[in-house]
Amino acid sequence: MTKDKFYNLILKFYLFFIFVFIFTPIAFSIIFSFNSQRFPTIPLGNFSIEWYIKIFNDAEIWQAAINSVVVSSITCLIATFLGFCTAYSDYRYRFKFKGIYLALVLLPPTIPLIILALAMLAWLSKIGMSGQLWSIICAHSVLTAPFAMAIIRLRLNQMDPDLEAASWNLGGSEWDTMRNVILPYCRPAIISSLCLTAAVSFDEFAISWFVSGLNKTVPVIILEIVQGNIDPQVNAIGTFVFFTSITLVITAQIFFLTWQMKGKK
Amino acid sequence: MTYPLVSFKNVTKNFGKMNAVTNLNFEIDKGEFLAIMGPSGCGKTTTLRMLAGLENPSSGEIRFNNRLMNNVKPHERDTPLVWQSLALFPFLNVQENVEFGLKMRGVSSKTRQKKSLEWLEKLEVRELAKRDISTLSGGQKQRVALARSLVMEPEILLLDEPLSALDAHLVIRMQAVLTQLQKELGITFVYVTHSQSEAFAMANRVIIMNVGEISQIGKPKDIYRSPANQFVAEFVGRNNILSGKVYDIKSKIAFIKTNSGNYNFEIIDKNIELGHTLNYIISADLMNFSLVKPKNSNIVNCKLISEEYIGSMVTLFLESVDGTEFKIQMQEREYSKLNIQNGEKYWLSWSKKNVHTLKKD
Amino acid sequence: MGGFNTALFFDMKSNRETINLYSLTFRVPIIFWQLLFFVGPVLFMVAMSFFLVKNYRMTEAFEFINWTKMFSKNYFWDSYWFTLIIAFISTLLTMVIAFPASFTLAFRVSENFRRWAIFLLIIPFFTSYLVRTFSWYVILAEKGVINALLSYINLGPFIMLNTHIGTLVGYMTLTLPLVIILQTVTMANIDKNLIEAAFNLGCKPYLIIQRVIIPLSKTGFIIAAVFCFILSFGDFVAPFYLGGSQEPTLPILILDTTKSGQQWPRAAVVAIVMMVTLFAIAFIGIMTAYSKSFKNDKR
Repeated sequence: MTKDKFYNLILKFYLFFIFVFIFTPIAFSIIFSFNSQRFPTIPLGNFSIEWYIKIFNDAEIWQAAINSVVVSSITCLIATFLGFCTAYSDYRYRFKFKGIYLALVLLPPTIPLIILALAMLAWLSKIGMSGQLWSIICAHSVLTAPFAMAIIRLRLNQMDPDLEAASWNLGGSEWDTMRNVILPYCRPAIISSLCLTAAVSFDEFAISWFVSGLNKTVPVIILEIVQGNIDPQVNAIGTFVFFTSITLVITAQIFFLTWQMKGKK
Repeated sequence: MTYPLVSFKNVTKNFGKMNAVTNLNFEIDKGEFLAIMGPSGCGKTTTLRMLAGLENPSSGEIRFNNRLMNNVKPHERDTPLVWQSLALFPFLNVQENVEFGLKMRGVSSKTRQKKSLEWLEKLEVRELAKRDISTLSGGQKQRVALARSLVMEPEILLLDEPLSALDAHLVIRMQAVLTQLQKELGITFVYVTHSQSEAFAMANRVIIMNVGEISQIGKPKDIYRSPANQFVAEFVGRNNILSGKVYDIKSKIAFIKTNSGNYNFEIIDKNIELGHTLNYIISADLMNFSLVKPKNSNIVNCKLISEEYIGSMVTLFLESVDGTEFKIQMQEREYSKLNIQNGEKYWLSWSKKNVHTLKKD
Repeated sequence: MGGFNTALFFDMKSNRETINLYSLTFRVPIIFWQLLFFVGPVLFMVAMSFFLVKNYRMTEAFEFINWTKMFSKNYFWDSYWFTLIIAFISTLLTMVIAFPASFTLAFRVSENFRRWAIFLLIIPFFTSYLVRTFSWYVILAEKGVINALLSYINLGPFIMLNTHIGTLVGYMTLTLPLVIILQTVTMANIDKNLIEAAFNLGCKPYLIIQRVIIPLSKTGFIIAAVFCFILSFGDFVAPFYLGGSQEPTLPILILDTTKSGQQWPRAAVVAIVMMVTLFAIAFIGIMTAYSKSFKNDKR
């Protein structure tokens, strides 16, 4: 018994250590963003918001932030729309080549970003679409639609299969039913999906870097700064990026978990 | 000319290679309470879904008031269905659920409110109007589901095993509610179930289905007393089914030889001839039980194997010398007076008038 | 899940095969979208690997020169094997390091705790990998946090940046949360009674892990490993910033050939080789995952 308790203690300590490893970079990025040192280390220098003032006065960063917001908010709308359509098609219908159809939608995230980035760059310049914000948006929606599809499909899985037919039976056409039954039922999943796809798009750097041209997003700016010298500005920008994506991911999870609980009732 | 409310003519439904129902022919009259009954996979739910337009027949015609309905979409019909799963919309409250159909029909919000409350009132759940669906009990959900369908004021209401999820005591109560409603409103009810007690307790007419075909249509009593074939005889009630060959006929009385003995029965307008092989059926509740050998002509000596109580009734399972199983049903009160024991031998007997026979092919 | 009527159970619903405006509205948009922005780019990349580059300009052609040039270069093969080996080591290491943590989460904590832990582990997976990598850069540096801490006990400084350790730490930043989630979920789904039974039969703890837990979670583990491999194999940030890129991995090769050399066709060759390798590994992984679990079922 005591031996078991001893093992338990060691395992929990190990688990704690792993969590420290995972969250250390996030924590230090935030801590260093308020640190006056040029090369941050321990012991810490003075508290300073110097880096924040620096990025606040940087027009290029402002422009990148605006670009990022535009890209991720349009991406999340397109990806969630596409993901919803696919999830519903998969839930409701059987058709020829459905396997291929689903593979077509779900495959992109399994391909390394650098390869997608190269392919996108070449293709978009071929069709004359490279170097614009739209190029990033199109590429990101392909990358993130599978996440939207997965979340919404999970929700549809929980739906009583008779619910849709019940609405037809009460006089609702298929379109009425979509509007009055399927969409309201999927609402929490749709909100989850919007947040999560926005977060992925907001953080994505490889494709953005390749296809953005002069319209840089925040991760591209970070990439470029990092390629130069050590610059604690990155920590300040990074802190903003973290808070944005963490907020989005947590919002997504809260909606996701809430309906998971409700589904169990 | 008057037409039946619903008519099925040679209706067949295939799902790919699988035959769900074959060649259905029947009519449903205005105001009747029809039960469709059968084991699972017999096609009863498919039949109901075709009535609601959720499936289209592969061949044959379905008519409502003589109007051909084959390709009329579900939402263009007026055939509300009470679902086995109830299928209440979890994101709407009770009243919004009831209003749903009216909203789809474009009824104004004022009328919707009035009517939905009226029907909730009729089903005695008006006080739940603003409640969330997930907070309701099984019986309350049942009533809300009924209100949601009935608020459409249809000519016909379809019910798909609506009571299967309820506790036994609630089932009895809801049966009473349903029968009462049906009488009051004069609406046609089509009730699909696998439960014989539900069907026989409520319906005016019962359709028994087996592997996609109709086995028998008739009043509950007719089906119970004169099953049309062996399937119905086995599916319905506690029947003793013996099989044997007619070896003698004397003045409207036929004599039959079975494994467990020789018995007789009255011939009632049936073509029974010497040498016919028959199913010889006696309902368990028409059997007599005695401790001593009765003077009757149809008797068998059996060993008591086990007993089963259902409410105030008890069913005894016995076995004759040759191993044939017999069942007898009696009042528990009577049974306890007899003071009988498992493994002991007793006598069963029955009147030649209470025998039902089916010709075997 | 309520409401499974027989009609659905036998999948007897003819409205599942209807083709009308409504069904096509939901089915068709993504087909066009994916053809235009996924299949198109990938196929074009394959085609591009046969194009020629003259005077820094790409011209459409069908020549094998990019393939023969790349395949005859030693640095390509060095890079290929290096990437394969380091991604493999990263996978093995991540799986091993994750296991005790996943084991604890699956068996030694309450369900509530596990839910919160997974909630937390999802967060880094969706937050900027780039910033986290940069943070590691500062932490691992010669005068960074770790060496500063070690100097208090008169150790170090250890060189961790621009070594394989740096690369592996970077990979793990990316893969560890995902692998722990997948392992935990797999093990948490094992029937606890089986483990209890093995324990009551006098099975030693390490034998339970070896004979019961690992065989039962083989499918989930292999899928976790495949994901881990794909992520490590395709990542350019960790080897570039933390590994120092003296030994370039394939992603870095793509980066260099595209960004500096204008040699898109040769980058395409590398990309295609990577994709083929990944598909082969994913395929083998998934085949073994399912065949093995099938055998276990039969036993």
